[in-house]
Amino acid sequence: MIQVTEEVRAGWCVVAARGRADSNSADDLEAVLRHAVENNPKVAADFSGLDYISSAGLRAVLQAARAAQEGRKEFTVCRLSAPARKVFDMSGMRHILRIEEELPC
Amino acid sequence: MLSMLEEVVLLAVDEESGQLRSSRESGTAYALVAAVFFDLALARKIDTDTEEIHIVDDAPIGDPVLDRVLTEMRAKPKLKTVRDWLEAIFRGPYDLEGHALASLDRRGILRREKTKRLWIIDVERFPIVDGRPQQHVKQRLLQAVLFDEIPETRDIMLVSLAEPCGLLGNFLTQTQLTIRGERVRMLCGLETISRKVADAIAVLDVSLRQGGAAGAIQGIR
Repeated sequence: MIQVTEEVRAGWCVVAARGRADSNSADDLEAVLRHAVENNPKVAADFSGLDYISSAGLRAVLQAARAAQEGRKEFTVCRLSAPARKVFDMSGMRHILRIEEELPC
Repeated sequence: MLSMLEEVVLLAVDEESGQLRSSRESGTAYALVAAVFFDLALARKIDTDTEEIHIVDDAPIGDPVLDRVLTEMRAKPKLKTVRDWLEAIFRGPYDLEGHALASLDRRGILRREKTKRLWIIDVERFPIVDGRPQQHVKQRLLQAVLFDEIPETRDIMLVSLAEPCGLLGNFLTQTQLTIRGERVRMLCGLETISRKVADAIAVLDVSLRQGGAAGAIQGIR
């Protein structure tokens, strides 16, 4: 189960995800992130509320980041929760995604 | 669309000779198992976290090998980690390469040909009939390795299957491999299944070296 909200602040669209980003919710997460990318020049994914992220969840984030790159939009992942940080670190996502400690806005 | 298993086996077919090429046999065997897990993940049948593999949906897909693996996974709930499952399927009675080659033959992409060497030894070759799918897979592989953009999920998987099979050297020069080595390692690290394949190959290499050393010592005695 995942809850995803979208809010525009100071030129950034902040997509906040809470709960589990797994095979059951990855499509929803990717759809919201892609929608945000399509409609905003700058997107920040706030993952401070993620309890869990699986490989399917990571793929969803990566493909949204890919869409941002193709559309020359800014995309950053911010405020990783401890469980999400562990997964991002192990997979080396820092080498391919922009990851920040705090929200940019 | 080809499965990940079909794509990696197709990459291994030499377009000139129709022979299968792989410079790392054990790596290839693990990579083919990984390809099956990637296909199951893409079909939303399984998911993984940093260690464990989970069945998400056990309804059959319609592919005999994938369905058999899924059935085996459902029947053995005590096996939980990606590593355990890589080993279980690696040691299991699955002819993954044969399955992929038969499927590519049925699709009209290659044909199976048996010839004799020295009039005695049976040699199998798989001449390419339609070169476009292999060309497409190669192009995606090169694009993912040589450019810095974020690749599509399937292309990340493709790189992380081709690497342990030792196939990248067939399509990239040594200079390109050296310059883009970091990129290849980064792409291979993104997926849990690929990281566990690398671990399994490392363990197997150590045991083979130790076995080889022990054999050599016995030979001296």
